[in-house]
Amino acid sequence: MVDFGFGLVPSSRINLDLFDKEKYEELAAMEPDVRVCMACGSCTAVCTAGRLVQTSLREAIEDLKNARPEKALEMLGACQLCGKCSMVCPRGINTRHLILSITKVYSAG
Amino acid sequence: MKNNILIIGGGPAGLEASAQLQRMGYNVILIEKSPRLGGHLAKWDRLFPDGVPADDVLGGLIKELNGVKYFTDTDIRAINRLEKSYNVRLTNGITVLSDAVLVASGFDLFDAVRKEEYGYGIYDRVITNADLEAWFKTGSDKRIDNPRKIGFVHCVGSRDEKSGCRSCSKVCCATAVKQAIEVKQAFPEAEVFCFYMDLRLFGRHYEDLYLKAQKEYGIRFIRGRVAEVSENIDGTLVVKAEDTVASKPLKATLDLLVLMSGMRPSASGKAVGDLLEMTVEEDGYFAVRSGIAAGQRSPLPGLFLAGAATGPKTLPETLADARAAAVEIDRYLTEIFPDARNYKQLVRERW
Amino acid sequence: MTPLNLILAAQAADPEVIDRIPSGYSHFVIPFTIGMTFMLCWIGVGCVRLLAAIPRADRLKFWKSLFIPKTVVRNLKDLFGDCLLHVKIWQRKPLLGYMHSAIAFGWFMLIVLGHIEVALFVPARLNVARGGLFYPIFYRYFVWMNPGHTTLRGSFFFFLMDFFLLYVLTGIAMAVFKRFRSIVLGMRHTTKPSLADRVALYSLWLIFPLRLLAESFTADLSGGSFLTVGVNHFWHFLFGDKLWFTPCWWAYSICLGLFFAAMPFSRYMHILTEVLWILLRNAGIKPSHPRKGVAEAEIYACSSCGLCLDACPMNVQKKNLKYSSVYFIRFLRRHNEKKINAIADKCLMCDKCHALCPVCVDAPALRRAQRATGNNALPYNYSYLETGVSGADVPSKGSERGGVLYFAGCMTHLTPRIIKAVDKVFKAAGIEYSFADRDGGVCCGRPLMLAGRLEAAAKVIEANKKMIEESGCETLVLSCPICYKVFKEEYGLRGIKVIHYTQFINDLIASGKLKVEKTGERIVYHDPCELGRGCGVYIEPRAALGQAGNLVKARKEYDESVCCGGSLGSLTLDTRDRAKIAESSLDNLLANDPDTIVTACPLCLKTFSEAVSNSGRPPGGVAVKDFAEVIAG
Repeated sequence: MVDFGFGLVPSSRINLDLFDKEKYEELAAMEPDVRVCMACGSCTAVCTAGRLVQTSLREAIEDLKNARPEKALEMLGACQLCGKCSMVCPRGINTRHLILSITKVYSAG
Repeated sequence: MKNNILIIGGGPAGLEASAQLQRMGYNVILIEKSPRLGGHLAKWDRLFPDGVPADDVLGGLIKELNGVKYFTDTDIRAINRLEKSYNVRLTNGITVLSDAVLVASGFDLFDAVRKEEYGYGIYDRVITNADLEAWFKTGSDKRIDNPRKIGFVHCVGSRDEKSGCRSCSKVCCATAVKQAIEVKQAFPEAEVFCFYMDLRLFGRHYEDLYLKAQKEYGIRFIRGRVAEVSENIDGTLVVKAEDTVASKPLKATLDLLVLMSGMRPSASGKAVGDLLEMTVEEDGYFAVRSGIAAGQRSPLPGLFLAGAATGPKTLPETLADARAAAVEIDRYLTEIFPDARNYKQLVRERW
Repeated sequence: MTPLNLILAAQAADPEVIDRIPSGYSHFVIPFTIGMTFMLCWIGVGCVRLLAAIPRADRLKFWKSLFIPKTVVRNLKDLFGDCLLHVKIWQRKPLLGYMHSAIAFGWFMLIVLGHIEVALFVPARLNVARGGLFYPIFYRYFVWMNPGHTTLRGSFFFFLMDFFLLYVLTGIAMAVFKRFRSIVLGMRHTTKPSLADRVALYSLWLIFPLRLLAESFTADLSGGSFLTVGVNHFWHFLFGDKLWFTPCWWAYSICLGLFFAAMPFSRYMHILTEVLWILLRNAGIKPSHPRKGVAEAEIYACSSCGLCLDACPMNVQKKNLKYSSVYFIRFLRRHNEKKINAIADKCLMCDKCHALCPVCVDAPALRRAQRATGNNALPYNYSYLETGVSGADVPSKGSERGGVLYFAGCMTHLTPRIIKAVDKVFKAAGIEYSFADRDGGVCCGRPLMLAGRLEAAAKVIEANKKMIEESGCETLVLSCPICYKVFKEEYGLRGIKVIHYTQFINDLIASGKLKVEKTGERIVYHDPCELGRGCGVYIEPRAALGQAGNLVKARKEYDESVCCGGSLGSLTLDTRDRAKIAESSLDNLLANDPDTIVTACPLCLKTFSEAVSNSGRPPGGVAVKDFAEVIAG
């Protein structure tokens, strides 16, 4: 089959083959808590910015794991670092440091 | 010779083990710190998955006791470990020389006040699963006044590192589904929402219960943990969660919010454990010799465990655990205990 | 005049003191002179570099401040109080204060008096070309006391010199003792000295005993007072007439030389940098970079004394000692980037190290500046704030001028009992108020600032400021100290009184608008970091609580209060470490067996509530309440 290198319609499907393991591991080394999210949505529920704009740490973490870091970054751009999410997270994730770390790791280059 | 066996805790596990051991011919002494037998079961109305009245089950357990000596309102004052036995002084003045001790101290319900953001004890219309069960039983609770919108919050004090409760309490999912159905039966016009993180309906017929709740009662299940509750001036509640399936933050105004308090290690059980120098694991429940092969043996010879003292269990699991403990005690008292010469060696090999 | 002429002239007038060595020089002064010269050059270059790195406007401000009478008075007071007498250490740890002031003030007096002696008796030697650099230091070596001509004035100076030497020696003895048994002087943890520190430290220990040795051996010639002459007699008793004074003067000079040569690389640099830092500090110049300019003065003003080690709440766990301010500053000095970042991020920003620092080194500010180097430039998108944010209950533009606006803040929405209690108190006092963020608001900006995201913080501040100014309120009441600090310091809300609810409610009680019923409840008040050390609010909450119950003391309180561990300041402390800190803070509060712990911060409230229930304390023990809850009764 000939591969033209592009498709007619961009796929909306998550493609795990595109997952950048190296970057994710770099993030996990900086903030290991990224691994322990159980996607309960507490962070999104209380989010101060979330009242005004679509933003969700839970979703951002999913996006990273689903090879969509640009979506995650866009989402977290709205964060005010108020820390409410860290207070309610049942897994005790250090959310503020996680958000800073994601931004640091994925916005560089 | 009839060995004395002391059983600590008059809940389902203690009752069941007492009855079994009595039947085997042992001399059983059962103590319960509260004024009546039955533990949490005595406060419950109906049981999942079939809606059997709790009183019927409890009545059956008590009927089987026949002849077990039991003391209510009784706690332990002091325990001395002798070479093989335990010398136990009770608060009612009696001293028991016991060849085996079974700790069936059960659990405490998580104190929902501790999850401040849910406002239990602060907002008038926030109640717990136990409060609701009491209302089913007695029909009197001022907080429940013909609610039109009712929410259930799963995992309150379960799977929550912040409250120091990492483990799943196992029974709350099924209890919530059961209570949601019951409350819908009581208020057929009401809308009922269950906010869950993961639905863990693992037991036989539990899934049927879930299906029934969806199909026959129209209960809405929302995958998202409630994380903030505020109160309107009229006393109604605004809950905030994320619908993680829709990936959208969500808020709902409710007339009644039911918190599914999870299981915590019993505080008075811990006090007994301290007297006995029993090991407690990180989750606060007592350690067992081996989680798989010896789930009813504590690390100390002659000391047995049953029921929720070793972690959250459903009622049938607790009863099975109690029967297993009875068998273990019998094995110990017939195979290891009587051999005065080789006792220590036998303990090393077979405990 | 030739030296010979000088001696002859002096003898002719029968002076008290005669220049014993005509050249006024001996080889043994070389080590000292080299060390001293090196140090002075280093300092000179350093000062110029440092001042050059300060922004122009700040530099101008600095020069001007040196001529403003008020600042001059303050400078003199601080220089004397902080550098010489160490008043701040005296206040907290009297033994340590004595030790330090004995060395600093005693040495200072020895130098000053030594120069006065020279000025009085051999004034020509003050000239640098004639040995002015070293002569006053080794004065007693170079002079011969004219027997039979001693005046009262001379004896007086002899006495003073001996007195201050003894004073310093007692300080040194305590310092040596402290190295081995610091706890006796009130320090649980002390710093680990670096190599240069050690060289300087051991030299410093030796300088004064050697000085005593040298001066006592020389006392036959140069005279002395109770100490030097007394010791001199002892030597004669021991060794007869055989005394070795030249080697002692050599050793003394070598130790001094070593000390000054090692000084720029050691903690003892603070002796001189402190002066510069105090001047800069009093000029009101704040660091804009974690290492350059003012920051450098702060870094070198740190004496590595380690008082911040015991102050730091993280140090309940020994593994966290390395995150203390003293080590942060040490690594800043050494440009160890990796360690600097890790340490900067760990801190709770409780500000206790700053409050207890003898020279007011603002390490938390340096940490924030360090965080900013990595975080300020990170991308953000607050375009959603530009459309304007309205508060839930906030009246539309100007509709209700002069009212009270209550802003609960993000965290308070997770502790609804505060909101409920505030409402109850306000209602009881008949206060009509609007609730700015009933349905949630915009963050105050302080958490962003703490994370070093200053630019982003400015944006949220702007959004909130607009909302509040448009409300037309006259008083803005805040229950969260984090919000309070930033609203007060950064918002610049003109015409609006920004007040914390503890102050507001205390005013209501004082003016009789609110009646509080006194119970027998034993209350201990926890000072939230941002409210106490952060904003200096200590009195009002206690005054109000004193009306509602019996206040009991915590072990440490006011500016020494222990952070609860729940602070937003730390970026990397994990739940377990925080729980350990909470436990120790709780322990501090429970010292006098209170019924209730009261605090005035949603984070402290939540942290202590969790700590009490997670600690396995028996139920029905101590209760944790918010300030307003107690007032509401």
